Amino acid sequence: MPAFLDLTNAPDADVVTLAQQGREDAFRELVRRYERPVFTLIFRMVRDTATAEDLSQDAFIKVLNNIDKYRPEFKFSSWLFKIANNIAIDFLRRRQLNTISIDGSPHAATAAEAEASAFDIDAGGENALDAMAAKELGSAIERAIGALRPEYRACIMLRHVEGRSYEEIAATLDLPLGTVKTYIHRARSQLREALEHLRE
Amino acid sequence: MHHRHLLPDEIDQLLDDASGVDVVPLRAHLEACPDCAQKLADARLVCESIEQLQHFAPSPRFTASVMAQVQVVEPWHVALTNTAHRLVPASRRVRAVMFASGSLLAIGLSAGVVWLLTRPDMALYAAGLAAGRARRVLLDATGTVITDAFGQPALDALHSGSVSRVALGGALVLTAVGLATVSLRAAATSARRARE
Repeated sequence: MPAFLDLTNAPDADVVTLAQQGREDAFRELVRRYERPVFTLIFRMVRDTATAEDLSQDAFIKVLNNIDKYRPEFKFSSWLFKIANNIAIDFLRRRQLNTISIDGSPHAATAAEAEASAFDIDAGGENALDAMAAKELGSAIERAIGALRPEYRACIMLRHVEGRSYEEIAATLDLPLGTVKTYIHRARSQLREALEHLRE
Repeated sequence: MHHRHLLPDEIDQLLDDASGVDVVPLRAHLEACPDCAQKLADARLVCESIEQLQHFAPSPRFTASVMAQVQVVEPWHVALTNTAHRLVPASRRVRAVMFASGSLLAIGLSAGVVWLLTRPDMALYAAGLAAGRARRVLLDATGTVITDAFGQPALDALHSGSVSRVALGGALVLTAVGLATVSLRAAATSARRARE
């Protein structure tokens, strides 16, 4: 592996190989690449910024401290998402925190903390009406995703936010392919029902 | 042409942009059935809404916090390879000289080993000579140390004494050294406490 390899454009497999050789910049590159997707996945599972950050850290620490055990026949990102999802599911099982408000963390002690942990929906519409409609839909989607079972939530996030195939999701979550299809189908149905009022 | 409405699984297939002969009749049905087309449009809207959800970023200190708890270990074989790489000179001429010297040394050593293997009697004789000389040097050095430390009588006693006497003497010396060390340490500790 050449020492001068540009890590920013290198494929995951090469960066992982360099990390296995003890290159600290390779570890940093893996964190840089996946901190947002992992944090987003965990945040949408646990719906609390501080908890999501702690759990994301746990996921990265677990993965990077065991980088020598990584098997190259799997995608690195699948391995990372698998551990992140397991950590989030374990947390939810411990806390029984399946649904919370989009308006902020249930652990917020003050109004300021609740506001800080609330979702900031980026509207992006062309005018105020579009913006309002997009915000309403975005809020409703976030709320509906928050009401899904954690298993459905993980599947639907990996499918539609991370763009993973059914096979990759099955490998990532250690679930049979049929179960993944069922979970995604049910999640879509529930989301469709939850958003029905917006179409009327 | 399908004469029934699409099943939820079939709408999922179309949502996932499935291809193949199975979906051809489904697509044909959509063109003729506004209800199913609307269902698919609604489902697509939900998926697109999810896909447009924003990514969140952790705090700026996230990477530093992770790296503080990650053990970056360089495996021994990588460390060895890197060290070897560092030892190799950058200049091509110096590398050529090093390679030539190494080759000459290797040829010389190989020739010496082959010669010794073809003449085992000579090898044994040379080894015996070297071992005898090394033993004499070691004994002389030990005798000098004992004479300097304890005097000639101690060396004479060592030469004439039995193994048990020598062991006893050694034990007494070790005990005396240990006691002296403990005493010196205690004295140093009390002096430091007195200064504090």
